[in-house]
Amino acid sequence: MRFSTLKSMAVFLAIALSLVGFNAHAEKAFAEQKVVLQISDNDPFKQTLVLNVANNLVKHYGQDQVEVEIVAFGPGLRLLFDENTNKGRIASLAGAGVKFSACSNTIRNMSKVLGEKPALNSNATVVDAGVVRIIDLVNKGYRLVKP
Amino acid sequence: MKFFKTMTMAAACTAAMGVASTANAANWLMLQGTEPAGAAPRAKVWGFIQPEYQSTGGEDLAAGPWTGEKAIFNQIRPDIDTNKDMNILRARLGVRGTALPLDSNVNYFLLTEMGRNGVTNKDSASVKLTDASITLNHIDGARVRVGKFKYPGAEEGLQAVHVFDYINFTNVTNGLLMERFFKYDGSGTFVQPAAGPDTASDSGQVNAPLSGVGAFRDTGIQIFDTFKKDDWEHSYAIMYGNGNGSNNSDNDDNKDTYVYWSSEKVYGGKGPRREGWKIFAWNQSGKRTITRELGDADASNDIEGEFDRERSGIGTTFRKGKIRASFEYITADGMIFAGSDGGAVPGTLSNLPGPAAGKFTVNGDVGSDGQLKASWNVETEGEADGWYAHFGYQVTPKWELDVRYDVYNRMTDVSAKERKYETTTIGAQYFFNKKTRMILNYEMRDAEAPNLPSDHNANLILDSMDDRLSAQLLVIF
Repeated sequence: MRFSTLKSMAVFLAIALSLVGFNAHAEKAFAEQKVVLQISDNDPFKQTLVLNVANNLVKHYGQDQVEVEIVAFGPGLRLLFDENTNKGRIASLAGAGVKFSACSNTIRNMSKVLGEKPALNSNATVVDAGVVRIIDLVNKGYRLVKP
Repeated sequence: MKFFKTMTMAAACTAAMGVASTANAANWLMLQGTEPAGAAPRAKVWGFIQPEYQSTGGEDLAAGPWTGEKAIFNQIRPDIDTNKDMNILRARLGVRGTALPLDSNVNYFLLTEMGRNGVTNKDSASVKLTDASITLNHIDGARVRVGKFKYPGAEEGLQAVHVFDYINFTNVTNGLLMERFFKYDGSGTFVQPAAGPDTASDSGQVNAPLSGVGAFRDTGIQIFDTFKKDDWEHSYAIMYGNGNGSNNSDNDDNKDTYVYWSSEKVYGGKGPRREGWKIFAWNQSGKRTITRELGDADASNDIEGEFDRERSGIGTTFRKGKIRASFEYITADGMIFAGSDGGAVPGTLSNLPGPAAGKFTVNGDVGSDGQLKASWNVETEGEADGWYAHFGYQVTPKWELDVRYDVYNRMTDVSAKERKYETTTIGAQYFFNKKTRMILNYEMRDAEAPNLPSDHNANLILDSMDDRLSAQLLVIF
């Protein structure tokens, strides 16, 4: 095979792989269960509870067999603040494939109150609207659970 | 300076420890001064209630001018008028949190006391404010706490009292750190109260405390923080305060400084019962204003002066699995609380003729010729030290057994005045649940004047000291 063809194939492969990596919400190919967890409360116990539920799902089904996404909006967005005391747990769950979505509408409103944009956990992906994200996921077959 | 040696020793121990490992015991600076970032409520209401029963044999004084009268060390706090008492020792209600949940940089802590203890009984107050503080977390490495709160110091004082494994503090903590505030040193009232200070309280106590006890608190400003490296957690605190205990305002121009360091290897868990091994050192330095009566009843030669008050300590705590242990050594220089005359309850008239004749009048209370009225005393320039060691074992998740040995050496710089207190406490705790428990303690108490003959009045008086039985129920909400 000519070198130029090999080179083209390599470039194409690299681009394809980067696109897969670039999509932070890429789904797991073999996941049989899909769950979206909502956190919209200010209660710190709810923060612990939603993380516990995510962890229990991953442990029960196996991280390759379950898709879990935590969507935070309203007062619940505090869970995804970079300073949040649960940062370590979030990092661990993210490593196991759990996704975290932060509502941009809430971010905007909180920015007005704080006078500056809150720093978010690096594992969080900003979505246009938390509740819309939940509806979209439900339409894709996700089960909604609000601990 | 003593505190420099103390801090240097602590730092050297830290350096020798190397990197990561888990720490024992809780980080009280952070637990009491801050809220979990991003996860604290706006206002969390909390509190605890501690009803208790304490009793001694009630043995009376066997020697000295107050022979046959009640021995103060056999009476039950805080009123010290009976040797058996049921009491609501502490009933605290507080609220803590973040003023604005979105901003974790501002925390507050508010706590009130409605129980009957040394904080509330002085004024017969039904409610006292024990803590009111604001913490600003804006500067990395230097959090700022302002208000009234527990100063950084000895473990028994700094830790949250509602997770304390025992009912009563050790003698060294009670004697050197649970500060009482007096106007006079009490030396004049022993000789002849007639011309002495007119400072009797409504209860008839002579040289009665001016306010409630210090309760390990002060009003001031503290800079502190915690640094984590692997499994190690290093904490520091520097505080500048009024030096007037749990009182809201200052009583003189002097201020106290507090310095604290701890290094802890964290094994796991969180909160007050986090597992780990901690070493710590602290120093408290300040001055007190008090009037020395110079041992006579002539008020015209009383001298008001300022006296140094220095306290230092070094210790360690360990908690892992079923094992709990702690040790602390404390030294003191100046303003040593020296109890009461002859071991009697302050305000008690003597039964034997005093060294000076003449009637006396204190707040209209007329005594007979030669009678004395026992008063509280302070040794303004004395020295003291003490230590304690504690071991606890969790037999089952609901049962824990504890044993503690504590030694307190008072007035070590004056041979005739030196007193040594030794107590062995055996205890048991039953946990109904993690927030409700019962504590039982039996204290085997012994005291002596080590440099005086065994038949000296001081030793005969101290031989009257009974053992003490205590039971306490605690619920945290």
